[in-house]
Formats: sequence, structure tokens, C-alpha cells
Amino acid sequence: MNLSRDEHQRARQLAADLKEIRDEDLIVQVQNGQRRAYDEIVTRYKGRLFSFILRMVKEPDLAEELTQETLIRVYVHAAKYREIAKFSTWVFTIATNLVRNKMRQRSRRPRLISLNPAPDEGEMPVDPPDMVADTSNEVEREELGRLIREATAQIPEKYRIPFLLREVDQLSYEEIQQVTGLKLGTVRSRINRARGRFRQLIKPMLRNESLLEELEQIEARALAEKDNQRGED
Amino acid sequence: MRCNKAREYLSLEMDGRTPPDVAGLLETHLDSCADCQAYRTDLLLGRRLLAATEPELPENFDWKLQLRLNQTLKETAGEAAFPWEEARTDRWAWLRNFGAAAAVGMAAVLTVAIFLGPTGAPPASRPLSENRALAETISDRLPLETNLRWSGMGRSGLQRQVSGIAQQPVDRRLRLEGGWSGSDRADLVTITRLRGENRALTGALVQAQRQIRQMQAQLDTSGPKALDLED
Repeated sequence: MNLSRDEHQRARQLAADLKEIRDEDLIVQVQNGQRRAYDEIVTRYKGRLFSFILRMVKEPDLAEELTQETLIRVYVHAAKYREIAKFSTWVFTIATNLVRNKMRQRSRRPRLISLNPAPDEGEMPVDPPDMVADTSNEVEREELGRLIREATAQIPEKYRIPFLLREVDQLSYEEIQQVTGLKLGTVRSRINRARGRFRQLIKPMLRNESLLEELEQIEARALAEKDNQRGED
Repeated sequence: MRCNKAREYLSLEMDGRTPPDVAGLLETHLDSCADCQAYRTDLLLGRRLLAATEPELPENFDWKLQLRLNQTLKETAGEAAFPWEEARTDRWAWLRNFGAAAAVGMAAVLTVAIFLGPTGAPPASRPLSENRALAETISDRLPLETNLRWSGMGRSGLQRQVSGIAQQPVDRRLRLEGGWSGSDRADLVTITRLRGENRALTGALVQAQRQIRQMQAQLDTSGPKALDLED
């Protein structure tokens, strides 16, 4: 189907208009059957959800599946959303419940026992990568990402959920309280404990000069990309 | 200020939540504590590392999502178009899930009927053979096979249970016999009534289970705060 120039223009304008709308108003449009509003919600949340879920479950395929499941539930159960809580809280509640269920299912499944016992969880800081060996930026970034994911995965689940909701998804303490059903004081102390644990786990990396240089380069590239995108918009 | 407390406040500081009356004390502590200074630097570095290593979505994510969403919507539409399919499935699920519960309930009701049945003047004790015959008559007249089969307790099991009363020593038997009216007909009426009550209770149990399943589904989408309780 070929769209005329006017129609292209109108579609672009509509997409630009949707970008200005709050999440809570977008979901009302979804409730009224507007599929474009849902697409905008997907655009806004897919990255954040994937990032949160991957750091919870560690496996990229499973994280992708759970991210999709979350977004599908948002669409199918859109009518259930009421604006008594922020939309992001609702979305992350769905994601957190799905992740928890999956992890519970996994823990019930019998696991193969390795003949080489792993060191105690608390004694396993992550080794820093050998940055000199890697030549490609992307490979370095991916390797660093994998190490950070491994470190995150070693934080006990009950601390990891509020920690990631805060650090990765930038939810406020009150929003995390709504998502997890914990008391505000508990949210505070769990985030604090998780930060301490995370620091312990990545400590060897933090003393690695080449890694810190790499971190600065990654940040500079990300900033440049953001500027480019802003220019295109 | 002790280091432990200072680190708690450092975590709050990262989220811009340091209590105003603590900010000064925290700075004083940091000026004199190199470990806590390093702790603050590390927390900030950790945050930067997390942000810098945001994972990227697989390239075909949108396409796969579209496909799955269409599939889900199609299935939902299919269920709406053929509601009887779901009803039939539910009926068998009810039998599977609650057959055993119904049988247990029935056994409990029978026990209640035996021990706490109509009271009044204790009937004259009957000979042992008469009691056994009574037990067999009751067992024969009750169409309990369907429900009892689910719990693995067949008709002969019931027979054994009821006729077991007749095998009790005389003093215990007298006490147990107090639960019966002494008339076959009256006892059967009582048992039929109790069965009716049991059926009603089982119905309520099924309904409650259904509600629990619905609430579970709702909880999955709304979380512990049950955002959509207005439904």
C-alpha cells in the first residue's frame, strides 16, 4: 500500500504529537482502542523493561520473552488501569510479578549439580575484563555489560528488585513501594544494602584504570549519539 | 556519626533524600573518613557503570512483539466466539480438582451424622446382626460411587466404615448408636438432607476457588496493591 506524501506527513505529525502526551493519557487512548498510542507506549517502555528484566533473569532470550509478555499484558489488560497510580508503576508491577513467577518456577525445577562446587556467593567478586585484548568498542561494551549483569545477578533477589527499579528505571521510593508492596523504610534499607553489595562485587573493576577510561569513552559516545538524535528530531 | 549510619545517608544522598538536619553532620564525617569518601565515589561509579551498560534490545523485537500480540488477540477472540469450549473444560477441571474435596466433605458429613445425629431418648440396643444389616442397607441406598471414587474410597470402604460401628465393643456401641434415630427411614432422610447441604457447600467451595483464580490473575496484572479493586 503506497501512502501519499500528505498521508506520510500526517502520520509523522501524529507520531510527533503522541511523543508529547503523558503515559497516563496514552493508556486512556489505548483503552479507547487507539493502537498508535500503544505503539508509543511500547517505544517508551521496551528498553527500560528489557534492561530491568535482563538484569533480573540474566538470560537474554528469557528477558526478551518476559518483556514482550509484559507489553502484551499492558495491551490486553489496559482497561484495568486506573489513574490511582502512575502508569510506570503499573507497568513495572506487571513486569516484577512476571519475573518473580518465573524465578519461583525455576527454583522449583530440579537443577543439575556441578561436580566442581562454586565458591560461596558472597566471596565472588567479578574479575575485570582485559580491555587491551579487545579491539572493538562494541565488544568491550558488551563484555562490560555482561560483567555488570553477572555482578547484579549475585545480589539477593529481595534487594535486587528495589535496587534495579531505582538505579535502572529511576522509579522513586514511593513508586517502588507501590510496585513491591514493601514499606517505605524497607525500600530504603534494601536499596542501601543492595548498593553496598553491588559495590563489593564490582570493587575489582573500580580499581581498574583501563576500565574507567573505557567507561568514560562509552559515556562520551552515548552523549554524542543523544545529541545526534536530538538534531534529527 | 558512625560509618554504618553515614553509608545509609550516602545511599539517601544519591537519591537526593538526605534529611536536611543530617547533611552537615554527614559532610563533617566525610571530611574525616577516607573510607566513607571512597564508598561515596564507588557508589557513584557503580551507578555510572549500570547506566553505561544498558543492554540493547534484539533488532527484531518489535516484529516479534507484533506477532505475539496478534496471536494473543486471536486466541482471546476465539475464546469469546466459542464460550462452550471453555465451559466444558471447566466442568471437567471441577471434577478433577474438587472430586476429592467433595468426597472428604461427604465422609465428614456422614461422621457428623453418625456422632451428632438426632438426639432424644437413646434407642433400645439392637442385636449385632441387625446393626450390620442396617449398615449394609444404608450403604446400598446411597449412590455415592461417583464422588467416593475420586478419593479412592469405594462403596465397600463406606460399608466397612458403617458396619465397623456394629463391631465396636458394647459400651462404645451404645454411645455411637445414640447418633441414630433407630428408624431406617428417618436416618435416610437425615443423610439425604446432609448430602444436600454438603452439595451446597461444595458449590460454594467451587465458587470460592474460581474467585481465587480470578484474583490471582488480577494480582498478576495489578500487583500487591491491587490497583483495580474497583472491579
